[in-house]
Amino acid sequence: MYALIIDDSRAMRSILRRTVTDLGFETLEAGNGQEALDHLEAGRVPDLCLIDWNMPVMDGYTFITKVRANHAWRDITLMMVTTESEHGQIVRALAAGAHEYVIKPFTPDAIAEKLEMLGLVARAVPA
Amino acid sequence: MTVLAEPTLSDVQMVVEEVWSSFLGAEEPLLPGMPGELATGWSAAVTVSGAWDGMISVEVPTEMAEEVTRRMLAVDEAADEDVADAVGELVNMIGGNVKSLMPGPSALSLPVVAAGRVARSSDAVEVCRLDASWAGSPLLVSVHVHRPTQS
Repeated sequence: MYALIIDDSRAMRSILRRTVTDLGFETLEAGNGQEALDHLEAGRVPDLCLIDWNMPVMDGYTFITKVRANHAWRDITLMMVTTESEHGQIVRALAAGAHEYVIKPFTPDAIAEKLEMLGLVARAVPA
Repeated sequence: MTVLAEPTLSDVQMVVEEVWSSFLGAEEPLLPGMPGELATGWSAAVTVSGAWDGMISVEVPTEMAEEVTRRMLAVDEAADEDVADAVGELVNMIGGNVKSLMPGPSALSLPVVAAGRVARSSDAVEVCRLDASWAGSPLLVSVHVHRPTQS
């Protein structure tokens, strides 16, 4: 399973990389929506995109609309990971095609729970 | 229409503590009050514009900025560009969460980061100030708003 981490902060990409690597993902990274689209257009199509909202060049919302406009990328799971927490923005992102929405700051467990709900990682079974 | 609301100190403290405990480890908690004078090494700010207009800024000494960077990036050495990135992401998270407590809708800017103090416009008024310490170093988080001048 591949995750594409899209965030203009290297620090945040590093935190997300460690989080999803621990969950069994291999990762690709992009510093904005356009760089992420470049990955997809080059055939590097991930199973999951973790997407910041506010980025230079192309923001996360625009990236989602472009991915959802391309039928070839319909199987990619899109998860916003952002500080934007206004209700209207969450609704807008979900309506545009995001599957999940995580508000920063987050814990690794919060990401894991969302990915479990999406069926991308195995649900932890209590011992 | 811009709403003249202000975040409370407890709002800002809650937000900052959540950011710190999520990304910098809960074993070394953020403590209230400054353990001495703050010699600002790095600072960063974001602005919020829309139904609420304001600026949220963070100031930290160089040693803390470098330690924050090492922890966030999980590296042994922190280059200046990494420090700028990490401090910028901290104020992005703090500012975004303060924005969510204020009347909306509004937009959050990308962070501006400076070695030293970030500039503020002369009509900006400080409405909230959190003095804190982490790992023995001082930290300042402040919220400024533009007050219309009275004629």
